[in-house]
Amino acid sequence: MAALNYVGSRRGKLAYAGCVYAALILLTVVFLFPLYWIVSLSLKTRMQVFSKPPLFLWWPTFENYAAVSHSADFGQAFINSLVVSGGAVSLSLLVGVPAAYAFARFPFLGRNFLFFSLLAMRMLPPIAVLVPMYVLFSKLGLTTTRISVILAYTTFSLPLVVWIMRGFFEDLPRELEESAWVDGASRYQTFYYVVLPLIRPGLVAASILCLQLAWNDFLFSAVLTNNATRTLPVLMVVFSGGDSGVDWGSMTASGVLVILPVIIFSFLAQRHLVSGLSSGAVKG
Amino acid sequence: MGGTTSTAGRAAITASAGPHVNTSAAGRWLDRQFVRFAVAPTTLMMLGVFGVPLLLSGMLSFQGWEATRGLFAGEFVGFDNYQDLLTDPNFLTSIRMTVIYTALTVAAELALGLAIALLLNIDLPYIVVFRTVLIIPMMITPVVASFCWKLLLDPDHGVINYWIGEHIVWLGNPSTALFAVAVVAVWQAAPYVSILLLAGLRSLPHEPVEAAKIDGASVLQTFWHITLPLLRPYFLVALLLRTIFEFRAFDNIYVLTGGGPANATMTLSQFTYLTSFVKFDMSLGSAASWLMLLMSMLLCLFFMTTVRRRDAN
Repeated sequence: MAALNYVGSRRGKLAYAGCVYAALILLTVVFLFPLYWIVSLSLKTRMQVFSKPPLFLWWPTFENYAAVSHSADFGQAFINSLVVSGGAVSLSLLVGVPAAYAFARFPFLGRNFLFFSLLAMRMLPPIAVLVPMYVLFSKLGLTTTRISVILAYTTFSLPLVVWIMRGFFEDLPRELEESAWVDGASRYQTFYYVVLPLIRPGLVAASILCLQLAWNDFLFSAVLTNNATRTLPVLMVVFSGGDSGVDWGSMTASGVLVILPVIIFSFLAQRHLVSGLSSGAVKG
Repeated sequence: MGGTTSTAGRAAITASAGPHVNTSAAGRWLDRQFVRFAVAPTTLMMLGVFGVPLLLSGMLSFQGWEATRGLFAGEFVGFDNYQDLLTDPNFLTSIRMTVIYTALTVAAELALGLAIALLLNIDLPYIVVFRTVLIIPMMITPVVASFCWKLLLDPDHGVINYWIGEHIVWLGNPSTALFAVAVVAVWQAAPYVSILLLAGLRSLPHEPVEAAKIDGASVLQTFWHITLPLLRPYFLVALLLRTIFEFRAFDNIYVLTGGGPANATMTLSQFTYLTSFVKFDMSLGSAASWLMLLMSMLLCLFFMTTVRRRDAN
């Protein structure tokens, strides 16, 4: 916009626009190449993957995807990922949305402390929380269960939900709630029947962002699951563990299948990305 | 009084709550407890997954650890675990590597992110396409992103070695491994920084820039003296967030090098992970994680006071 606007002749403007486009196209090529490469490898046969020079034109094969979709391990991990991320998001919404409303609307004792702790939960290194969590969960007999992973995920999804939803609640005009109270509705009724329907877009945004974080997590799931309960990222790492003899075709195919839902989700929530990403940012 | 009631709100209430409006003493008491009931689940949850575990690991870090013994049956050893860590050359190396890794990645992410944001901020036809496409790397699951780069950097079959025509073992060489690991982080986080900064650029007031232009300032002068200072709060937020997240980086390092070769990529997260979940020394791991916690808390405090002071001026 203003900062780099070139003021000058028509030809100068065209040349300027040309330079900008050239730079952007170069950036796009560089930034998207790794992604293009993993997709292209997933569509090659075992021979084509290792061909030299690398193939840029070939007849795509879907045999890798067929192999992956028939693998029991992948199916199980996919279900685990779905259950665990879905569970973490639902739990965080259920617990965090009323709290976000209270944060946005009512002064109460310990509000700042609680909010600061939520921020700390999001900001502090997960590995530091994971060590004691593992100890506690093994004491309770919860390790290697999906519940333990869901609980662990709330360390990042709960703060995210509270942060995002607090913003949405604050933007809501107070008049609707006040008139509901005047009409004799209880706070619970007002919250459930008046406020919640109005912030549905916020709920969607918060769930998508949490879902993305939970789906992408590796560390918590790597420590807290076993072969039966592991999620997709853990499965990817286990399969790519050995240096030689790794089947590039099926590895890349499963990689593509792992990131596809996330990319779709993210585009759905793109409008809210900035507010969600800066969640936890200190506002002065 | 009812005159101010919005019809939507009233309709919603009468439709759902029915004619009975709860005005009993119990109902009023319940109403006064609303905030408590709203906040209690979150508080309990935080205690359960955050507060109690942290206290436990605080306790563990002062105890000796034996796998054969039950939890918390270890004897009190004072600061032994901490002393072991702070005299362990591997741990000290991991502190140094974490600082180097964080400084390297954050600097690259901010520089590249700013460049991308400035380009994306220029109003040209179809710029929206680039705004959309360029942020894709940050959405990718970190494990998959790292795996992707592992294939690109593969010494024998990787396309990068093919292009430069040399056989470089990127991940097996202490002098290149850190850069390889950092590249993945920068690739994913530069778009993230760029959308934060782009949001900042979009919200800047037009007047100062236009005034500078009228006064005859060059594009570079305007950028350096007007745009950058105005952008500073956004820049600080990006710096804060990226430093915190790179300080704890784990996935890319674990997948690409696992801390090696020769500790060249052994960051604090890696060290703590290996101590706790590979060597299974939970007491030492707890001590390491508490030191890590303290360091990141100091980091946060430092940034917060910096931001506050800047705002006050």
